[in-house]
This record gives sequence, C-alpha cells and structure tokens, in this order.
Amino acid sequence: MTSTPTRAAGLPPSAPERSAVSVGTPVRRAAAALSFRNIGAVYVWLVIIALFSVWAPDTFPTTVTVRQVLNGNAVAGLVALSVVPPLAARVFDLSVAYTMSLTSVLTARFLVSAGLGPGAAIALAMTAALLIGVVNGIVVVVLRVDSFIATLATGALIQSLITMVTNDSSITGVQLLAEPFASIAQLDVGGITLPVLYLLLAALAIWFLLEHTATGRRLYATGFNADAARLQGVRTDRLRFLTLVASALLSGFAGVVFASSVGSGSPTAGTPYLLSAYAAAFVGATQLRAGRFNAWGTVLAVLLLGTGITGLGLATSAQWAASLFTGSVLIVALVLTGGRIALPAALRRRTGTRPAPATDKEI
Amino acid sequence: MTGPALRVAALSKRFGGTQALKDVDLEVAPGEIHALIGPNGSGKSTLIKILAGYHHAEPGAVAELDGEPFDLGQVTASRHDRLRFVHQELGLVGELSAIDNLALSRGFARTAFGNIRWPEMERRTSALVERFGLGIDVRRPLATATPVQRTVVAIAAALQGWEGRRGVLVLDEPTAVLPPGEVARLFGIVREIRDTGAAVLYVSHRMDEIFALADRVTVIRGGRRIATCPVAELTPRSLAELMAGEERETGHRPTPPRGPDGPVLEVRDLWTGPLRGVGFDLARGERLGITGLAGSGHEIVPYAVCGAHKGRVSGRLRLPERSERWTEARDADGLGLPLVPADRAGEGVIGDFSVGENLTLPLLDRLRARSGRLRGRRESALAEDWIRRVGVRTAGRHPAGARITTLSGGNQQKVVMARCLAQRPPVLTLCEPTAGVDIATRLQLYDLIERQADEGMGVIVSSSDTQDLLALCTRVLVVRDGRIAREISGRDITESALVHAMEGTE
Repeated sequence: MTSTPTRAAGLPPSAPERSAVSVGTPVRRAAAALSFRNIGAVYVWLVIIALFSVWAPDTFPTTVTVRQVLNGNAVAGLVALSVVPPLAARVFDLSVAYTMSLTSVLTARFLVSAGLGPGAAIALAMTAALLIGVVNGIVVVVLRVDSFIATLATGALIQSLITMVTNDSSITGVQLLAEPFASIAQLDVGGITLPVLYLLLAALAIWFLLEHTATGRRLYATGFNADAARLQGVRTDRLRFLTLVASALLSGFAGVVFASSVGSGSPTAGTPYLLSAYAAAFVGATQLRAGRFNAWGTVLAVLLLGTGITGLGLATSAQWAASLFTGSVLIVALVLTGGRIALPAALRRRTGTRPAPATDKEI
Repeated sequence: MTGPALRVAALSKRFGGTQALKDVDLEVAPGEIHALIGPNGSGKSTLIKILAGYHHAEPGAVAELDGEPFDLGQVTASRHDRLRFVHQELGLVGELSAIDNLALSRGFARTAFGNIRWPEMERRTSALVERFGLGIDVRRPLATATPVQRTVVAIAAALQGWEGRRGVLVLDEPTAVLPPGEVARLFGIVREIRDTGAAVLYVSHRMDEIFALADRVTVIRGGRRIATCPVAELTPRSLAELMAGEERETGHRPTPPRGPDGPVLEVRDLWTGPLRGVGFDLARGERLGITGLAGSGHEIVPYAVCGAHKGRVSGRLRLPERSERWTEARDADGLGLPLVPADRAGEGVIGDFSVGENLTLPLLDRLRARSGRLRGRRESALAEDWIRRVGVRTAGRHPAGARITTLSGGNQQKVVMARCLAQRPPVLTLCEPTAGVDIATRLQLYDLIERQADEGMGVIVSSSDTQDLLALCTRVLVVRDGRIAREISGRDITESALVHAMEGTE
C-alpha cells in the first residue's frame, strides 16, 4: 500500500466544470429523437404508406383506409398494451388471448341468457378477468413457476371455462346489438370509433406509469436485474403479481370491447391477437426507449403492422401475406437491435448449472 | 533423477497497469504433489490460466513438459495429452450424468447407425470413476451427487486419455466446495494419482492442506515467487511468514474510534450456513473488518446484517440510537441498512439502467410529487450531486444519463456506494468493496469510506483481501469455523496477524 501523500494525490479531482448546456443543444436533441435508431418504425411506416399508395393508388390512400387501420387495430392495440407492464418486469403473460375470449363470451352470455344489464354483465366479466390475474399471480409469483409456461397452462384452464360457457359456438343475440352496449365500441366521431380513444387512454396511462412513476422505474429494475432490485428494497414479487393482474384486466377489457364491436361473444375471439400483441410489444421495445418495453413504441408498432396488413389486403388478395408481414417485421426489428431484448427465462439456459469455464476449451 | 514433468520460467503477465506475475519460475517433478500457495490476488489463478492457455504470457517465458518446450500461447495435442486441469468450478453440467459429462469432452461411442452405444459408455465411464471407489452412479444426474463425487467426476473427466506417467494434473482449489469430512477422501485420491508416477500441481490458499498433502510447495505473493521448498522443512509459522511477507508500511494507520459513544449497531448470535453464533458491537465512526478463509462464513455476515441473505438466519440485532427493541435477524431487511454487495454485476448494478437510475433506485419515494409523478429535475440533480461527491468519471458530459455499463468497474462501484450513502444510513455495510477495482480507484474508495466514518457512520467491511483490511479497518474480526476466532485492532492489524488468525496458526 502506498503512503498517505500518494493517497491524497490519487483523490478524484473536483468534478470537471459542467458545461452550461448539460443535455446537449436543442438541435442535437431533436436529431437524436428523430434518428432511425430511435424511431425507425416511423420511417418504415412512411415507406410502407408510400409503397401502398403507389401499388394500390385507388384504394389505399383514402380516409376509409385510415379509419379502417385505426378502428380495426384498436382492440389489437389494447391487447398489445396489456402485455407491456408484465414484460417490463420480465414476466410473460401468454393467457391474455384467452382472458380476452373469456370476457367476450361472459359478457355476451350474461347479456343474452342471464338477461342482465350491460353494466352488471361487464362488471361480472371484469371480475372474472381480475380472478384470472390473481390466479396467474399466485402460480407465477407465489408458487414460482416460470411465467412463460405457467400462463400457457392457465390459458388452457381458461379455454376450458370458455368451452363450458359456450360449447364452442359464438353467443349472439339482439341484446348485444342494442344500445347502450353496442355503442361501447361502435360510437364514432368522424368515423373514428371509441376503442381508438380507449387505446390512447391506456397508452397514456401505461406511459405515465412506466416513465414517470417510482412504480414504473421499479418494474424496469425488476425486469432487468431482480436480485439487484430486491437488494435496493424493491418488492419485486409484489410488482410482478400486480402486472399479471393489470394484464388480465386490460385484456379482459379488450374482450368486452370486442364483443361490443362485433356484436357477439366468440370463443376464439382472442386467439389471433396473441401473436400480434407480442410482436407489437417486442417491436415497440426497439423504439423510442430502445431495450425497454414501452407504451408509445407498442402503439407505433401496432399501427405499423396494421397499416402493412391492411395495405397488403388492398393491394393483393393473398391470404398468407398478413402473417408473413408480421413475422418479417418482428424478425427484422429484433435483429436490428441485436438481441438487446432478453428472451424469456424458460428459453434461456438455466443458471443453476455453471457453464464450463472458458479454460476448458483446450481439447 | 529425472527432469521436471513441468517447468516454467520467467513467466510475466501484466493486466493494464497491474503486474499480475513477474518472472515466476515453477518446477514440478514427476511423482510429487507440488502445492502452489499464496494469498488472494497473489497471481495463483493467473498462473494457472496461463498454463491452461486462457491468458497469454508476455514474451520471454519458457515452458517445458517433460523436457520438451511448448508454446504457452497454443494448445496443442501433445500439451493436452500431458497437462490436464480441474478448475474450481469443475466445469460439469449438473443435469447430465457422469457418462454424459465425460462424453462431453471425449465424445460418445456410436454404432454404425449413429446411435449411442450406452452399455459401452457405461463400462467406459465406470472404469474411470470406480477406481476412486465412491460408489458413484454414473447414470444419475450429477446434481444429485455429493460434492466430493462431483469433484471425482471432474477429475475422471480430466484424466480421460491422459498420459499419466509423464503427465501433470493441475487441481485448482478443489476443496473450496467440499465439506470438511470429504476433504480427506479427496486427498486419498490425489495421493493415489501421485503414486502412479504423475505430477500433481495443487493450488490452494489453505496452509493446513499443504501440510496434510503436499511434498513441496511454491509460495507466490504479489506476482513473484517467494520460495520453493520441501514441506518437511517448514513449520506452519514459517510458511505463514512466507505468505504474509515482511511487514509493509501501509502508510495508513487508522485512528481508533473516538470516545466511548454507545454502539450504533449491536449484532448477537447470528447462525446461518457456516456461521455458528457470530455477534459484535459496532461503534460510531468505527471501521470494522470481517474476514476469514473462503467458506468460513465471513462473507455472509454483511448480507445477514442487511437482511439480504437468502438462507434461513437466526439471531438478533438492533440500532440502539433508533430503538431499544431487538429485531430478529430474519426481519433484518426492515432496518433498511444498505449493502454494497460482493457481486457487482449480479446484485449491485442494473446494467440496462443509466448511472442516475441506478443511483436513485432506493430513493424514489423521496422524489415523488403528490400526484405520484417522479420529479425528473430533482432526480437528475440528486444523481449529479452524488456523482460529483464520490467522483464518478464518465465519458460524456451528461454523467447521470450514461449507461452504467459504459463505466469502469471502479466507477460502477462508486455509484453503488453513492447509492448507499445517499440513504444516509447509520451503518454502511460493504462486501468485497474493491473486487475488480484498479489501484487508483481503490484508494479513492478507501478515502470515501474513511470520510463517511469520520462523520460518524459505522462501517462494516467484509473482505478476503488483506489490503482492504490493512488500509481501512480500525478493528478486524477473523471468522474461522463459523465463529469469531480472533479480534485484532489498531496497530496489531498486520498482514501476518491476519494470515495467522485466518489459518489458525497463532
């Protein structure tokens, strides 16, 4: 060890004078905000719009298309947003699609067969969603089953409930088409229906939660490094539990909106939304707050995917194009971010076994 | 007499500004167990890693196996045939059986159709494992085996296709993970291997093992070879002196704690894992070190005090200035004492967060407006204030916004420390505070800790690095076999006193 004078010499010099502009000039900030790295999806989106405007000039660049994209993707957007808070805490909720189907058929069932009013029917359906969230929380957080496989399992349980309620056929009835239930999803202002507003409100709420509250910061800390977060007093288990409740409630709400918009309760309502929800959430995580699951990035991704699929539908009649597009966008977005977003724990190597040390490679 | 089985000479290695090894010579004769011993950070593991081809030595080094020179930078077939390693982590896959683990390096016996010939694999593996006679079921996953059985499988894996008689087996601290009862069985196995005429290089920092097992010993300290001699010529005392070296002037005689203030922290009767009833008082402004050999349990104490230990803990503690009531050790997290953890990357920093976000994570409640919104400006002001106070250096001119992983290890450690200090705790608890930190930053960390103590904070430093203890502590508790074996304070804290107390050779 050195002597005291040397120690003094080794002390940190007083922090360098901070420049008057600590965050960079406005021009630089704007350039960073508008860079391809930050909002690449917006540029891709504009290219797609331009492409389809040339490809299908008569049908694509119209207000009808704008309405179709917005109205048609609001429910998908709600489901996509529902998986964002759990993903921020590195929890996968794969049961959201089933929760959505369940609330759609329960709402329909209560309205049509039980003769309840819309308020009571929705309240009961949302109670079911709440219960699903609690069950997911118990299995994942209390019983410590990996969320990826646990919510797949609870999804199967929910599917059996759906079949019990519906016998696998849609529930229809005039009650579903009557006011005021129908207006939940169908009331529109200038052709833009209410679900678009729900989507905006949900995005606003999740954005505020994740970006501007202590809870949001703790959610990200839980997702990035749960051990370190716990040492700093973050109650990681409680947060993970709550995200599962939140995702069940939001996807349950999406099911109610779905029932109102199509006027029936379908046992398979949610199924097509699962892939698109995760695609949007993961593409969204590459945008705006690179590496973090976030609300506006997810909404942007929903619009990008929705526009592309709508455009492909108008320009070609190929049924297979939609899934091809979703899959490609997802892969490209994830490749461009170079695997910055971690895989679910179930797919990673278990950390319990030590990997062979690098020194063992002498063979 | 035949030539050495392994000879290296003039081996040097430098990492950045640190000289890890300087002109080290080592000779291991056939049919001997040669121990390599030295304190933490002496360069033992660097030497082993160079032999294994993991690090590259600096030019000028000589290396010979059985008289034939070999290139340290290249892992050739003949080197691999003679020089085998069992690393501390063993390099086994717990979910797989002994058969599979051995086949990972050697390959499977297959039929013409490509399917594995299991009976032959089982015979082959059993033949290798059974000579050690521990009744290992070669088909069961290794996770279900005992620690010594796993060590034996690792040794068997290393011995596959080994040219034993002219070969060298390197065992790197193989007893670190073994319970005391199983160490003797392992020693028997090591002697058996030696008796076949092979050379064994046995790396350890436990002196008792050297006397129980080794024929000759090489002591290294500070990256230099201090001595090589037959174990029979040594006494525990003389070996400890070789390890500890001359008393160096640390230049830093800590001042004893001021006045008979009441303690800020009282800990009683901690039991968990290897700990069997550890208790102490911590005075205001005191810098208390806790140390011991690996596995003694000293490293658990800070975790237990902060309520962050994952196992069951019993015992009680209290902060007398805050409350007269005792808190059960299992509820210790309720006291909210901050911890600077040993594993910085795993438990300390959140790699995907910025410096500022890492710093303010435990302080978020303070930064909340009535609406629940975080006050962004106040948060960055708080972060930048602490960044300045602890002297974190970042590349950009917006330090709080930089990703924490862009900082050096030492600067990350300063952030972790600032985060704890910002909570203004009565007691700061640190575990291996200077691990992976360069010397200049180390001195800054010492200074920072000292300043906190001077302001009246009690500091607990658990470290296996004697440098930390010498430079920082006003009193050191040495844990051996789960108990506080010795208490050393003030001017009596010397390297040799610490080494003797840790090894139990007083």
